[in-house]
Amino acid sequence: MTHFLQELKRELLFSLRQKNVKILLVFGFLISVFSVVTGLMEINKQQATIERLVEYDQADREHVLKKYDEYGNLAYYTRHLTYSPPSELAFSAIGQRDVLPWKHRVRMLALEGQIYETDSDNPELAYVGRIDFAFLISILAPLFVILLLHDVRASERAGGRYDLLLTTSKHPERLWLTRILVGVLSLSVALLTPFIIGSIISGANGLDVLLVLAISVAQLIFWAAICYWVGKIDASAPQLASMLLGLWLATTIVVPVIGAKAIEASIHSPSGGDIVMTQREAVNGAWDKPFEDTFTPFLETHPEWRDYTKMNASFEWKWYYAFQQVGDLTAQPLSEEYRHARLLQNERASLIAWLSPAMLVQRSMTQIAQTDTLSMMAYEQSIRDFHARLRHFYYPFLFKASAFDKKQIEQRPSYSPDKIKNSKETL
Amino acid sequence: MKSSVLMIAMDEWRYWFRSKLVVTMMVVALVLAVASVITTGLSLSHESHERSELQNKAEQAFESQPDRHPHRMVHYGHYVFRTPAPLSTIDPGIDSYTGTSIFLEGHQQNTAMFSEQGKSSGLTRFSQLTPAFVMQIIVPLLLILIGYSMVSRERENGTLTFIIIQGVSLNKLMFGKFIALLMAGFVALLPLIIGSAVAVTQGEALSVVLSFILAHGLYVVIWCALVVFVSTLNTKNSSSFSILVTLWIVLCIVAPRIAASTASSMVASPSKLEADFEVIREAQALGGGHNVSSADLSKLKANLMAQYDVDDEGDLPVNIRGIVASKSEADLTKVLNRFAEKRMSEELSQAQIARQFGWLTPVLSLRTASMMLAGTNLETHHRFLREAEILRYDFVQSLNKVHAEKLSYNDDVNRYKNSDANNKAKVTSKNWEVLESFSFTPDTATARLMKSIEPLMQLFAWILVLLILAYKTRKVM
Repeated sequence: MTHFLQELKRELLFSLRQKNVKILLVFGFLISVFSVVTGLMEINKQQATIERLVEYDQADREHVLKKYDEYGNLAYYTRHLTYSPPSELAFSAIGQRDVLPWKHRVRMLALEGQIYETDSDNPELAYVGRIDFAFLISILAPLFVILLLHDVRASERAGGRYDLLLTTSKHPERLWLTRILVGVLSLSVALLTPFIIGSIISGANGLDVLLVLAISVAQLIFWAAICYWVGKIDASAPQLASMLLGLWLATTIVVPVIGAKAIEASIHSPSGGDIVMTQREAVNGAWDKPFEDTFTPFLETHPEWRDYTKMNASFEWKWYYAFQQVGDLTAQPLSEEYRHARLLQNERASLIAWLSPAMLVQRSMTQIAQTDTLSMMAYEQSIRDFHARLRHFYYPFLFKASAFDKKQIEQRPSYSPDKIKNSKETL
Repeated sequence: MKSSVLMIAMDEWRYWFRSKLVVTMMVVALVLAVASVITTGLSLSHESHERSELQNKAEQAFESQPDRHPHRMVHYGHYVFRTPAPLSTIDPGIDSYTGTSIFLEGHQQNTAMFSEQGKSSGLTRFSQLTPAFVMQIIVPLLLILIGYSMVSRERENGTLTFIIIQGVSLNKLMFGKFIALLMAGFVALLPLIIGSAVAVTQGEALSVVLSFILAHGLYVVIWCALVVFVSTLNTKNSSSFSILVTLWIVLCIVAPRIAASTASSMVASPSKLEADFEVIREAQALGGGHNVSSADLSKLKANLMAQYDVDDEGDLPVNIRGIVASKSEADLTKVLNRFAEKRMSEELSQAQIARQFGWLTPVLSLRTASMMLAGTNLETHHRFLREAEILRYDFVQSLNKVHAEKLSYNDDVNRYKNSDANNKAKVTSKNWEVLESFSFTPDTATARLMKSIEPLMQLFAWILVLLILAYKTRKVM
């Protein structure tokens, strides 16, 4: 054992003396620092935005409450902020948070007309992409491993020392393994240290951090093992590296792209435009239809209001909100099909990811950081659940035509992001 | 002179054909390029078809609405869809990150919905099988793998001195190798050229397509020159290889993302949701969509009654409610537009900071040039938002005009009394023809060419620097 440690130390000192190794490690370290710092900045920005929005939203709701003294009007004019706060590890994997919405304001109108609004960031910057820690580990780290370890054997061959090393060393295999171990270790230290510091700053759960570290090290070991294996081929260092890069290209770029195309072709999904159009026709058409046309489908899902649908004027709020809900019900099959298609797509993508280590790493990391598609869909579901609670809060007042009582409004449900977890289970 | 350069180039090709690896690389490049042109072309022509169909459907739906109260139609609203430009088959640019449809209605500006990336599986966040991605990211790597040893090999084998003794200057050798690699690059460029030519048949201006091809050609020239240059400076194949691959990682993958992160941290761009609160605060002073503030309202009423010389608002020949709706929409829109413009200019300054990094990495200059020419850039998306807003404002105000002029005040205020009164407070569906048909077209060819000048200059600057460096190497050696 001590002998092995001595060997390890010798190889470590040897590799650190090489200029290109040093440059590569420093470069990797700097990118890691950059990814962690910009990730933390982004998350701070999102948290600050949420704090401000919560405050504005509170003030705005109070303002609306002062202005109206009727349940129907209040429900119409009050918007409710919903949001999905970034997890402590979101800095390491921004994931789908920069293309899918994580904040929405909804009111009690038909939800299908509101929920697809996307308040996203600058599309040109999103297109260029960002370096977060997940990107570093999934896409860049294999390249570093290849640059560092492709010539472990080949450089000795080129230097003419290969045969000498084989005959003089007691355990020739162990020499290569030690070198590869040294490479993986030094790269791990360079790439993972900034992440560990970042996690401490953001106060992430220790278990999650360990999981991310394990995934990262697994990714490095995986590519190191491939380097070791490909390195057995008797070819020049650049030729070996070309093969390794080809492998990287195939698994990181070609497999995901073809996979995405195949998934797209295999799943039929209604177009988003159809959902919103269907909802709109239903809601707006209701104005010109007899009241029964609204109340009959409404009562099917809300039978508790059977005795309260008599209209005393040609406009009553209960009818208005009933046809908003009927609008959602009309679009529901399409909307469910749409969500189902996205779930199916996500499921198949996770299968495809087994063919692409880069995607596997990316998906696991976003899953841990709760920035994956599923988490974003859980947020969407939590909005739906909240909207339902809001409706069920107002319905008794609207259908029973209760006299307005400001105190009752204090019981009004308010959105809480803690419920996103529950919504995830109902997906 | 010419013949010896050509001979060097031919020799290099002969050498490549003997190497399995190089032939594989070339085949891979060609297959990827062809596949990307075909699949992107197919999916986009489908998209384009679908969106113009949806646009027609939306217009028909609006105009075939029954007789109604005009304000109902303000809330019924309208949808606009952006149809893609012909060259977006080659470079979809930011299109897959922006929504492609907007719901237009009274009293508010909505965001674009349903972006491709938003509903995708997330597998294509890093890589896309678009001709643009293949050209920008993959082709340079393949050029490196094919050409890293072009000159360094001659040195490692000791044949370089031999060649120079034969009277071939180093610059000539470099030029010959460069030509050989350039030929390989242009083979990879061929599918893109054919795809762009197809865009001409779909109505794209020839000048735009030629500049588009030029930009990609320059990019290939830059990478070929870079490969030959690094290969010449290095005495060992392996170091030439490592340096080139590191350069590729830095220039193609790392630098653009550093540009994006820098831009977003330099210019703050508050979310639309946040701006909405400020809009609300300002609009509260205005009355908020359905009303005008009481002070404004009495002034408006007094003016109108004086103008028509009547004592009661019911006696006015116009419906005061329509007038109020029109005034409040106009006031609110001014505020909305101010915030929308602010947001767009913030986004644009972010993008412009990121684009300045094109002086540091050719991939960003090519990306900008290509988006500008294809009409898939941020400015075009902003123009789509502006045109949609103009359409929104026009139809809402036309409906408000109908409201003021074709619906009597008394019918209007009594509309909820009973169903007869409700029917009286409607106007005929003929009035829904106020909707202008919407078709979004790319900027004019000249405008796009003008915008591509700066990124093209960045590409030329790279070539210039490489030329000078190549010339200097002769002295260094």
